[in-house]
Amino acid sequence: MKRTLAAVTALTLFAAPALAETTIETATGPVTISETPATTAVLDMASLDMLDALGIEGVTATSNTYLERLAPYAGDLGTLFEPDYEALNALSPDLIVAGGRSTEAVPQLEKLAPTVDMTMWGDDLLDQTRARLAAFGALYGKEAEAAALTESLDAEIAATQAAVEGKGNALILMTNGGKVSAYGAGGRFGWIHTEIGLPEVIEGLEDTSHGESVSFEFIRETNPDWILVLDRVAAIGGEGESAEATLDNPLVAETTAAQKGQIVYLNAGDIYVAGGGITSVLNTLEIIQTAFGASS
Amino acid sequence: MTRPAFVFPVLVTLILVSLVTGVASLGEDGWWLVFVSRLPRTLAALLAGAGLAVAGVIMQMLARNPFVEPATAGTGQAAGLGLVAVTLLAPGAAIWLKMSAATTAALIGTAGFVALVRRLPTGDPLLVPLTGIVYGGILGAATTFLAYERDLLQYIDIWMSGEFSGVMLGRYEILWIGGALTVLAYLYADRFTIAGFGEETTRSLGLGYGQVVALGLVIVSVITAVTVVTVGMIPFVGLVVPNLVARMRGENLRETLPYVAVSGGVLVLACDIIGRVIRYPFEVPVGTVLGVLGAALFLWILHRGPRRG
Repeated sequence: MKRTLAAVTALTLFAAPALAETTIETATGPVTISETPATTAVLDMASLDMLDALGIEGVTATSNTYLERLAPYAGDLGTLFEPDYEALNALSPDLIVAGGRSTEAVPQLEKLAPTVDMTMWGDDLLDQTRARLAAFGALYGKEAEAAALTESLDAEIAATQAAVEGKGNALILMTNGGKVSAYGAGGRFGWIHTEIGLPEVIEGLEDTSHGESVSFEFIRETNPDWILVLDRVAAIGGEGESAEATLDNPLVAETTAAQKGQIVYLNAGDIYVAGGGITSVLNTLEIIQTAFGASS
Repeated sequence: MTRPAFVFPVLVTLILVSLVTGVASLGEDGWWLVFVSRLPRTLAALLAGAGLAVAGVIMQMLARNPFVEPATAGTGQAAGLGLVAVTLLAPGAAIWLKMSAATTAALIGTAGFVALVRRLPTGDPLLVPLTGIVYGGILGAATTFLAYERDLLQYIDIWMSGEFSGVMLGRYEILWIGGALTVLAYLYADRFTIAGFGEETTRSLGLGYGQVVALGLVIVSVITAVTVVTVGMIPFVGLVVPNLVARMRGENLRETLPYVAVSGGVLVLACDIIGRVIRYPFEVPVGTVLGVLGAALFLWILHRGPRRG
C-alpha cells in the first residue's frame, strides 16, 4: 500500500509539469481534463457548433448532424439519442462531448473515455452559451477566439434588441406536420423573449420540451403582431407538410402578423437541433434582426 | 330495449357544445368561425369515432372475440409501419400515396392477425386479445426499429398519438372515406353478424365466408388508415363502444351498428371537448383523454362480466 502510494506520488510529481490540466464548467459541475484533447467525439450538436466556430480539429460527430454546415464532421458515432459504443470504442477519443439528447448515455460513455456533459437548457440559455464557449476555449487553448465570439454575441444581441424595440409582441410556434405548439418565455426558446426584449403575446406558456399544443383558433385569438416559426419536421430532416403550408389557413390569415407579413421562419435546425450553439444563436439573431429591421 | 336511444340526444347536445367550445370568441364573424373551425373539428371527431367503433365491432366479429380492436390487434401498428416505410422510400410523398401505403400495410397486418387467430385453440377468450397485443407489439417493434435506424423515432409520434388541434376546413376531409365505409358496413351488417358465428355456420347459410372476411378486412384497414393519416391513432374506441352497445342491445349488427357508430362519435367528441377545456386555452390530445377514460370504461366492462348473447 505504502509503496503504491509512493509510486503514485512520484509519478504525479514527475508527470505534473508535462500536464496541462484544465478545469472546465460543465452541465454537471466542474470537470478536470488532464490534457488538450487531440481527438474529440461529439454527440451534442450545440457543442459541435461551438467547436466548429472555434476551429477545433480532430472532431468526429454522430452519423447525422442535421445541419448542413456541420455535415463535414459527421462520422459513425451513432445517433443523437443513441451513441454507437463500439464505434466510440474503436475511435478511443481523448474526450467525448455529450449533452442534450445524449445526456442519458453519459454514464456508459464515461467507461470508454473522459466524457463531459455540455447540456444547455432553460431560460438562461445564452448565459450557458457564454459559459460553454469559455469552457471549450480554455480546454482547447482558444481563449481569444472564444472571447471574440462572445463579443460578437453581445453585439448581435444589442443590435437585435434595438431592431425589435417597439415593433409589437410575438408568439413562438413550432409546427409538427399539421399540428402546432406554442412556446413561452420560460421554455426552451424563451431566450428569444427574455434576451432580446421581445414581448410575449400571452403569458403562462409552460416550460415543456415540445411546447403547449394549441389550435389555430388560439393563434387567431391571441392575435400576435409577429409569429416566429420553426418547422420541427424540417429540423429533423423529415419531409412532410411544411410550416408555411400549416400556417397558410384562414384563421392564421386574420392575425396582425399574417396581414402585415410578419411571420418569420427561423432556421429550425439551428434553433431546435443545435439550440444554444454560438453560430446557431448568431444565425437566429440575424434572421430576427433582418425581419424586424425591415418593418417600420 | 330502447335504452341506448339516449345517445341521440347526447349526440345533439355534444355537437352544440362542441360548436361553441373553442379559444376564439364567437363575435360578429361567429358563423364564419363555426364553419371554418368548429364544424370541421366536430365532424372530424364524429367521423373518426364512428369509424373506429365500427372497425372495432367488425374486427370482433371476424376474430370472434369481444376484446380486440384495431389499436391492439396490429391494424394501427401495421398502418404506422406502412407510413414509416413510405416516408423512408419516398419522403414528401403525396397524401394519397401515404394513405395507400398505410391502408395496404394495415390490410396485410389485419389479414395476418385474422389468419393467426383462426389457428388458435378455442376455449380461452383471452387468448385472442393476448395474441393481438403480442402481434401488434411485434409490428410496432418493426416500426420502431425502422424509425430508430433513421432517427425518425419522434417523427412517428405525430401519427401514433391522435389529436384534433390541427383540424379545420380543408384538413380533415379524408375522414369522410371512413364515414362512407361506415355506411357500407351497415349495408353488409347481416353478413358480418353471420360471419360472427363462424366459418361453418356462414357457409351452411350459403354465404361466401372468404368474401365477407375480405370485405371486413378492407373496411377495418381503410378506416384505421385514414384515421392514422389524418389525426393519429385513437385508442380504446373500437374496444369499449362495441362492448357497451352489445351489453345493452345484443349483437345483431343490423340493429346495433347505428348505435355503435353514434356512440363512437359521441365518445371521441366528448373526449375532444374535454381536451379542449381541461387546460384552456391549450389542448390536451384526445388520445390522452381517451387513454384515461377508455381504460376506466374497459375495466368497468371487465368487472361487469361477460356480455350477453
